[in-house]
Amino acid sequence: MVVKGLQAVSKAQNGVGAFILQCKRLEFNFCDVGGSSRGMKAFLKTRLSAFAKENPQVEIVVAPRPHKHPIIRGVYINNREKVVCVRNLEVLQVLQKAELLRDASGVKLKKINKPVQSLNDSVRGIWSPYHATAEEVYKV
Amino acid sequence: MKRVSRSTWDALLVPRRCVCGHPLVLNDLLSSSISPSSARASISTISRSSTHNTVRSSLKPRASRPFHTSTSLGVVPKLLPTQSAKLAALHGRLNLPNKFPLTTLGRALIDPTAEPQHHLNNDSLAHLGNVLLGYYTSEFLIVQYPRLPYEILKAAMSGYVSSKALSAIGKEWGVEAAFAPGETVDPGLLQFSRLAPGTPFMTANTNGGLFNMQRKRGSMVPNFENNPTAEKILDSEAPEMQEIWQRQRQSGKTPDAVPLEHAMANFVRSAVGGVYLHAGGLPAAKEFVHAHILGRKLDIDKLFMFEQPTRELSRLCVREGFQQPIARLEKETGRYSRHAVFIVGVYSGEEKLGEGQGSSLPEAKIKAAISALKGWYLYSPITGADLPSKTDGNPTAPFTPAVIDVGDVVS
Repeated sequence: MVVKGLQAVSKAQNGVGAFILQCKRLEFNFCDVGGSSRGMKAFLKTRLSAFAKENPQVEIVVAPRPHKHPIIRGVYINNREKVVCVRNLEVLQVLQKAELLRDASGVKLKKINKPVQSLNDSVRGIWSPYHATAEEVYKV
Repeated sequence: MKRVSRSTWDALLVPRRCVCGHPLVLNDLLSSSISPSSARASISTISRSSTHNTVRSSLKPRASRPFHTSTSLGVVPKLLPTQSAKLAALHGRLNLPNKFPLTTLGRALIDPTAEPQHHLNNDSLAHLGNVLLGYYTSEFLIVQYPRLPYEILKAAMSGYVSSKALSAIGKEWGVEAAFAPGETVDPGLLQFSRLAPGTPFMTANTNGGLFNMQRKRGSMVPNFENNPTAEKILDSEAPEMQEIWQRQRQSGKTPDAVPLEHAMANFVRSAVGGVYLHAGGLPAAKEFVHAHILGRKLDIDKLFMFEQPTRELSRLCVREGFQQPIARLEKETGRYSRHAVFIVGVYSGEEKLGEGQGSSLPEAKIKAAISALKGWYLYSPITGADLPSKTDGNPTAPFTPAVIDVGDVVS
């Protein structure tokens, strides 16, 4: 007659307790000869080290990508990638794109219709006609 | 100074002209501005270094030689943990203090199946972390739900700190596993020998968490040598599986290969052990466990499975000296239709203990008994008792003890 336990695994609620930044890697690709990489190269020279120090939780990879436009690639904890082409962008615009990728969660973009998303049950409970007063039940 | 991440290594192999033909002026600038040991900035770049120069000369007549695996693999040097961008990023992501050295985090990523030497693998760290996890999780659950039956307490423990739960945490920390352990693997990757698909793997105890460590060691962790659940699972398996498992259990040595889940869970345990050792002892470990493991969502009320709830409720009322529970029909609709609904309340004297809704009278009655039992078992003190670990660092701290219940109903 004893009660038995069912197996379950706790679910993450990022930010309750610890917060884990979802962007785990940023890859900066540039071309040495291409003119569209001018802003990107200036970014790498002047801004990248400060950006990396501000964001120690992101692994930063710099690699050449010859004869192509410069890109920034964000790799996320859910194993998805987000790639932004930064051709012909100025230094601050490149920085903006890098920040955008850093702050992204990596999930596929989708429209959210509900104002609140929660793992918790509703505090008020579900309305029940068996418990409401008669006036409320038959109110039209 | 040579730091090549796997992705850059791929990039390095393909555009050969860039690496060997054009000098990477930009990276020289970078490497001079950011030294790997300084700060925690995790940058990996392809840089011109002595190793590179030698490679370049050895690979000179490339046009006539297509692809030389051995030479090019020889390029990848062994990375120190302090040089790995991945490891530094993981360190930053977990928000570990600077006191927590990168070398310890790197060691926590090495499973005993990858490196048998005890001072180089995470075996001892994982064991330490497991003890701490069991301590903080069990005190948290017992203080919050003092009347939880033992079976439910075990299920809740494994919900928080079983290998399955911990490996999920490891994945959510962004830890990646190396394909196979080796000298040239980035220290930021989890290294272990993978179990071949279809091979049975069984720890001595299957329940998870505190009850899950496979070796009998120490005395703080309850390690159920003749675990009834493990025996039960063993009995339900095919004879050839039983034989393999028995052999594994009897040999008693660490396995040669483990599943990813097991290795990942051991990394998380080791990280907790590392926090205890380096980042400020018990208070830091407690904070870390509460932030990363106990801050997760686990519905304790969904863990119950009652066999005879009405009988159990009746026994509970006898034990507690309440009047015998009586089920009363409160509302009903459509008794003779296809969609009958009955609302049954279970009462002890004037007190309503619980309520259930069902499409038949017995169903509603059983649900009412379950709700009454859950109401009893899931009692949680409103004022909030203190956790016993509050006095760990400071024995004179003001302490409100938790309720100690007599336990679950057994008969």
